[in-house]
Amino acid sequence: MPRYELTLILKAMQRPETVATLRRTVETLIERGAVVRGLENLGERALPYKISKHGIRHTRGGYFLLDFHSQSEILPAFLDHLKRDVDVVRPTVLSKETAAANTRCCVPQPEKPKDALPRRK
Amino acid sequence: MLAIRKFRFIHHLLCKNAARYNTTDRGVRGLYDRSAEISRSNDDMPISMENPYKEEPKGCILCNVTVDHKNVQLLSQFVSPHTGCIYGRHITGLCGRKQREVSKAIKKAHHMGFMSVTLKDPSFMKDPNICHIKHME
Repeated sequence: MPRYELTLILKAMQRPETVATLRRTVETLIERGAVVRGLENLGERALPYKISKHGIRHTRGGYFLLDFHSQSEILPAFLDHLKRDVDVVRPTVLSKETAAANTRCCVPQPEKPKDALPRRK
Repeated sequence: MLAIRKFRFIHHLLCKNAARYNTTDRGVRGLYDRSAEISRSNDDMPISMENPYKEEPKGCILCNVTVDHKNVQLLSQFVSPHTGCIYGRHITGLCGRKQREVSKAIKKAHHMGFMSVTLKDPSFMKDPNICHIKHME
């Protein structure tokens, strides 16, 4: 399972430039000893709110999802590197550990008998 | 002297009642036993079974649904269309765990640039209303 997930919002660019940016990012990751599992494109869409970054007010962006396994020590430096990249609008790294399966989800609590004294607030 | 009279009165009452309950009236007892046999043979006593009208345990609407911060359409259903504020538990009707998950996912989506903060995406305005809230038109 992917250990980390990088949500990358890139500036709205032409395809070759987007490709170049993604290639740079993945190569940086691999240099720092990460194993990239996969890259997903969520499409180019209008941003939910205008983001000002590197002196430009962005209204549209390309959303990309990058799954990778890596050591946790490289992450602060990697995020710092991404923040300095001019083409990256917003990078976010989230850990993607699978949560324990909840079998008893939303089972309603047994009703308390009406004789039960109310809790003092 | 008064005490003695009271004692005598109580003693008299007890004797009277004792006499009533300690009756060895075989005849009456016999009748009672036979009526029990008759009722047992009719067999109209209730049969023990689990409640046939029992309602199955209901969970909240997101019972077996995974909540993801990327699923903006789902998260927008729990957000006000006018202000973009997250509805409370008394409006959404979600259980504690799911309400917390939804709330955390919405805040994550805000920060990561997936979901708008002060408004609801216009393309999601026509979605069915799951929350118990009526908007003034």
